[in-house]
Amino acid sequence: MEMKKKAGLFQVAASLALVAGVAATAPAIAHHSFALYNMEQTLMFTGVVTRVNPDANHLQIFFAPMNEERKNVQRGEDGKPVIWAVEMTGSAQAAADGISVGTFPPGTIFSVGLHPLRSGEKAGARVNPGSIYKCPEKKPPAPGMQCDSVEGHVTIGGGQLPGAAPAR
Amino acid sequence: MEFAGLVNDIQASAIGEWMRSSLKAMPVVEATHVLAATMVFGTVLIVDLRLLGIPNATRAFTRISDELLRLTWWAFGLAVVTGSLMFAANANTYVINTAFRLKMLALLAAGINMAIFQGATLRGVGGWDVGVAPPRAARLAGLLSILLWVTVIMLARWIGFTKGYNFVVPDDPNIKFDF
Repeated sequence: MEMKKKAGLFQVAASLALVAGVAATAPAIAHHSFALYNMEQTLMFTGVVTRVNPDANHLQIFFAPMNEERKNVQRGEDGKPVIWAVEMTGSAQAAADGISVGTFPPGTIFSVGLHPLRSGEKAGARVNPGSIYKCPEKKPPAPGMQCDSVEGHVTIGGGQLPGAAPAR
Repeated sequence: MEFAGLVNDIQASAIGEWMRSSLKAMPVVEATHVLAATMVFGTVLIVDLRLLGIPNATRAFTRISDELLRLTWWAFGLAVVTGSLMFAANANTYVINTAFRLKMLALLAAGINMAIFQGATLRGVGGWDVGVAPPRAARLAGLLSILLWVTVIMLARWIGFTKGYNFVVPDDPNIKFDF
């Protein structure tokens, strides 16, 4: 009887520990769903940074995607550059990874993969894991290529460019 | 210096950079800001409810306000410091955020309401300090105060959900679109 009681207590304690463990680690993995992004689709961009929003929850990089020739950025019917945004971790974690207002000033050319929003808005979540490559200043890659092909590029995040299609 | 330049300088300051890049700064400062705001609203609410006669008028109004409002001021000071630190981290985004602007307006309105109450209505407190219902002006000040502080809190939370996307291309000579 005493043994049974002890085993029961052990089970309760173990269950509580499991729940506490899950509760402690879950927020670190994801504090919200990614349902608003189409995680099945990956778009690859090489573009020019227009602004960085160092938001505490999700840093955003706004950029003008370059055309396939890598000579100009894509423009809308009004002649203005088309702007996309890539979102990622909070500004502090991003800064620890090397992504900040200071390291991505306006005009920076970089390559990134993202999962676009389902809403159709021109924004998406950074592919993770997946590298971001910064081109050397004002040196875009060759036609159809990404910044990882340019000599002197900077790699952020380690690993490779996410397998993505179509290349932009 | 123009306003946009000042805001940009605040964001580019060493404090702004520290708030953005430290893994611990924002969570600690933000939690402290919430605690300070809780203290401000909690103490203000008790004083305001007393003005509205809730729960009753048996305790002197001046005793309640003297005991609590000193805590309110300490907490408000802490909220201003922590709020300024959070603002510095991303000033360029906050300053164009509608919820943030409305929150600042609501804070200003709460301050004006309090100044009018302290400067005018409170002068006659001797006549209604204890045992009788406060005059209409005092009750109105209490009600307005509660509504304005609830608005401040609601808008403060709203900021986090309305930063959205700013696709506007800034006028920056460093941005080159053709190579």
